Amino acid sequence: MAAVTTLRKPYDDVVDGNVLPKIIELGPTLYGAAFHLMKLLPARFILQRALERGELEPGVTVAETTSGTFGLGLAIECRLRGHPLILVGDPVIDGPLRRRMEALGARVSIVSASALRGRDVQSARLERLAYFQSRLPCYFTPCQYDNPDNPASYGVVAELLLETLGQVDALVCPVGSGGSSSGIGAFLRAVLPDLRLIGVDTPGSVLFAAPAGPRLLRGLGNGLLPQALDHRLFDEVHWIAAPDAFAATRALHAGQCLFMGPTSGAAYHVAAWYAWTHPGERVVAVFPDEGHRYAGTIYNDVWLRRHSLLREPARAPRTVDHPAEVSGPWTRFVWNRRSREEILRLVSGAA
Amino acid sequence: MTFANLTTGVNQKVDASLAPIPAQLAGGAAPVALVGVAPVALTGVAPVALTGIGIAPSHHGELIQGVFEEGGRLHRGLLTLPCSLFGSRAEICLQQDEPELTVNPGWKSKALAAAHAMLARVGLPGFGGRLTLHSTIEVGRGLGSSSSDVIATIFAVLDAVRLRLSAEEVARIAVEVEIASDPLMFDRMLLFGQREGRVIEDLRRPMIPVEVLGFSFADEELDTLAFAPARYTVWEIECFRAMRGLLRRAVAYGDLVSLGRIATASAQINQRFHLVPHLSRLLGIAGESSALGIQVAHTGTIAGLLFDPADPELDRRLAVAARGLRALGITETWHYTARSDGHGRCDDAS
Repeated sequence: MAAVTTLRKPYDDVVDGNVLPKIIELGPTLYGAAFHLMKLLPARFILQRALERGELEPGVTVAETTSGTFGLGLAIECRLRGHPLILVGDPVIDGPLRRRMEALGARVSIVSASALRGRDVQSARLERLAYFQSRLPCYFTPCQYDNPDNPASYGVVAELLLETLGQVDALVCPVGSGGSSSGIGAFLRAVLPDLRLIGVDTPGSVLFAAPAGPRLLRGLGNGLLPQALDHRLFDEVHWIAAPDAFAATRALHAGQCLFMGPTSGAAYHVAAWYAWTHPGERVVAVFPDEGHRYAGTIYNDVWLRRHSLLREPARAPRTVDHPAEVSGPWTRFVWNRRSREEILRLVSGAA
Repeated sequence: MTFANLTTGVNQKVDASLAPIPAQLAGGAAPVALVGVAPVALTGVAPVALTGIGIAPSHHGELIQGVFEEGGRLHRGLLTLPCSLFGSRAEICLQQDEPELTVNPGWKSKALAAAHAMLARVGLPGFGGRLTLHSTIEVGRGLGSSSSDVIATIFAVLDAVRLRLSAEEVARIAVEVEIASDPLMFDRMLLFGQREGRVIEDLRRPMIPVEVLGFSFADEELDTLAFAPARYTVWEIECFRAMRGLLRRAVAYGDLVSLGRIATASAQINQRFHLVPHLSRLLGIAGESSALGIQVAHTGTIAGLLFDPADPELDRRLAVAARGLRALGITETWHYTARSDGHGRCDDAS
């Protein structure tokens, strides 16, 4: 049979060119799936499916509440497809990120401090979003946290991992909306039933039944419970505190020359430990975005020192019997593919 | 009668069509194998009888069946599990000025339609004659009896006029007469769009040999062409996408373990549309006998447990599996090694 060469051709657009991660070998059994901007994937997929179903028509305004990179993904996708975009964020939104979204034509509306007084950020943001929606004749809201197309958008990543690696024993994935972890995890497990899915969260996040609190590490964990997150897929959950995630992010750069953001550092920290303690198992860590946004902060020792965030990361996790005990630099809990309710019942049973 | 018996006496195997084309048929054209047939000039020539024989094997259902993206669009597609245990043999005798073309047995109307389509295709619309089919494939079980008849008939007409077509072209003609066709005209692994008659992705490798312990999971005969196409969810479509990534790797590396997992996953997704009774029990038997996986005929009543033919423990595993199936009330089983058997007698255009 004749040799087959696949002729390379230009990407259709910048999303097409940047949407897939690069699978990079980081050790004998450790691989990184490094995204330029992971949220391009759900942004494009959610809008495409909505167009197919007639929920979104050309030129119709897209309105979403987000302060993170999903907003940037939407801004790029909406710019390319000609949808006006309204993003409702909160005051902690990253300045350069906001300017980039605005440069792409998005209207970024920040919920003011006065509107936040005495209530939670999320309901204030939803109220502001409802205000915009009421003034629009028609609009589409992607609802990344609850839209089943968010996890479904990660089929292409599972395809890429299965084609390039075949066997994967453990997937270590930072969890925020639950889209990438639940999506990649479920699609891989359809053909790799023994795959271990390891979620990486941060103290203060309520995703995996740990106590709620302030989160220093943006983009990791969540203050709400997204429907996109399927808890019963997870074998283990790790909570990494901000200083440890930052140190690991720097180690990923210094050791592997991979310039990624802090959620990637957190995933790398857990994945490197898991690969070390499980020799022979092929481990893949998901790295959601690049480090440029953090050049002045995480990649800046002066900033880290000023905020007392410069320290050696913990070398091993503290394994706890219940997520209620999550605290300190690095906590681990064996989730065992249970529902969040089952875990919560455990605590009341113990009490 | 086995597929091997059917092949005896076939005067056109892979190279046979390279034989010189009779002058009266070639119409003065250069005596080369023709791909993309021009109407055969026959004017001024005494009536001749054209006879041809074509054969096509059965199959054993699918290793995967679902929906796959190609060229920015979704296509229904499948990867067939080859099976040369059974087959169809078509014999055709054509004569000019014969008023009618008849088929025996008379109910094989799909094969007759294929013969008519081929006569139009090769430019012999005025010809009639007799088409005879001998098939060892049981009907209505998902073994591809209808596709096999149709493809054998197409090959028989091509043999009669000493022409060849690419497998892709044979596929298009088969789908025209049959609505959906199995890719029995190919003899290698590929994702085939069974309702469009086109190759979605050519995996460009012969079938990785795999041992199949076949059985029937239902007794009734099904009208396999009357199956309503499955309506997959977004999630299921994306699951097929992921499985396709593993399929590419499994084929490239000859990885039977992955191939078995893909087949099992496909059977599980399609369970919603084509119920295999006791699937979880069957998966239990697969586990007990260390089978690679389970595959089903997505429009039929047969299924198979898959094993590594090179496994030194193969006989013991097959016995364990057969015992498990008997406990489920499945007493009739058969086993064979699925492989590409060199039946592909088409030009590979791609």
